[in-house]
Amino acid sequence: MSSSLSALLSGTFYENGYDHRVEIIHQRDAGAHRRLESLDVALYDGNGALLATPAVDPGLEILDLGALVRGATDTRERVMVVLDARYDEAIFPYRPHHYAYFHRAGSTAAPLYYAVNATLGGVPDRVGATNINNFETYVFRQRPFAETYSLLLGCLARFVPVQAQVFAYYGSKRVARDVTLAPKCHAEIPLPAEDGGERLARVEVKALFRLLSYVVGRRAGTGDLVLFDHLFTYAK
Amino acid sequence: MTGSLRSFARRLLGVARHPTYYLPWIIRPGLECALVLSNVEARFKPEYASGPFRASVVQYDAQGAAAHVYAVSIQTSTDAVELPLKPAAGGWGFVTVTGDFAQSDLYVTLSDGRDYTATHGRGEFVEEYPRMIRLLLAAARGAASLVGRTIPVFTRNQYVFVGPDSRSHVLLMNLSNVTNSIRAVLGADGRVAGSRLLRLPPMGSRLVDVATLVDATSLAPGQPSTSAAWRLRLEGNAWFNLYLVGAGPLDLAGPLSLMHVK
Repeated sequence: MSSSLSALLSGTFYENGYDHRVEIIHQRDAGAHRRLESLDVALYDGNGALLATPAVDPGLEILDLGALVRGATDTRERVMVVLDARYDEAIFPYRPHHYAYFHRAGSTAAPLYYAVNATLGGVPDRVGATNINNFETYVFRQRPFAETYSLLLGCLARFVPVQAQVFAYYGSKRVARDVTLAPKCHAEIPLPAEDGGERLARVEVKALFRLLSYVVGRRAGTGDLVLFDHLFTYAK
Repeated sequence: MTGSLRSFARRLLGVARHPTYYLPWIIRPGLECALVLSNVEARFKPEYASGPFRASVVQYDAQGAAAHVYAVSIQTSTDAVELPLKPAAGGWGFVTVTGDFAQSDLYVTLSDGRDYTATHGRGEFVEEYPRMIRLLLAAARGAASLVGRTIPVFTRNQYVFVGPDSRSHVLLMNLSNVTNSIRAVLGADGRVAGSRLLRLPPMGSRLVDVATLVDATSLAPGQPSTSAAWRLRLEGNAWFNLYLVGAGPLDLAGPLSLMHVK
């Protein structure tokens, strides 16, 4: 493998019942650039146990996560899917990201399309954010919706636990919560929509190392995902 | 190399690029669109952290007319303001935001009243072509359109998805002061399945139902319970961009999502 290759370590979460497609590469014309050099995929349960490392053809353009997870494991729990890619930089002319599309079978909610978290770029000057990216924030709408909110956090570290602080803001009140994730562990951290009569306005995540992080909104009752978005770093 | 040539050509032709932050909007019966504006990402930057922050939001309709203008103000970098957008011609378009909020990403939300979807806007640019270039482009565009083509100055490629009860639509936005002929070509399984030439007025937009580009039954639908990815190629004679619009089983009559692309 050439040492001039770029690297991209990213991840997402697969939940049972979803049709979930990951664009492994950005669609482009030049056929020569339509493949990664390599792609290692690993699946982890919430406790960080390695469930499987299914072989994936790096020439794929679209990865069917549902078929991949169902074919490699028996679990019906949420799975953290880690994508470790090596690529010619021409594949990702802009910020290297995979993109993905998902929709839960039978749901009346809209499908969501999202940028897969690029957790470790491998080559910082190609990630597009060379400053620290482990201090992030997100804002929420203030009117009440029949919706619950949470953070999905995953730890991609190999050897050490990652400590994080989650701050939820309600009016002038700040509610802090400490989260420690061992390597490859992941968890859904609830963000109550109200506290003391004030609506959830904003959330911040501070971590010693970059976590896999998504803001999540779920329909009350069904739990269907209606929000699945990355946070924004303070340090651009 | 290509970028340098483009830059040189722009300078030669007198094309100006105006930095612009924009977000898409869609309003349909039962579906409201609201922006969430803040300057929170600037709170640790001393030069941007002190309020009040003021911004002007211009809502362009599908025909490119500035249908509504909103003045927005917040006092501190940790405040956020929700701005419900008003209906405008066509039911979709984009807004531009100028002022003090440019240090943060801004959100556009779509809600059916029960829940909401959200995505952020783009800090890019709007291209302004001088009069002579506009005339030349119009002539070239007219000639190319006779054979169903455009002048492919800008090209975008995007996967779109069609599943048993969900699908992608595409909101195209003409980010220039010239009429933009955008040729949409849909492909699947290595073949061209259909194409159409779309004409967007300056600063105008078009919500494209990708399935109408072809006879959908002629495309391989994939497995019955999963979605299929189609390749959409877009060529335009001036700068444009797109957002994906996600629709569930009720298609455009139900809840929708918007999402930026690469």
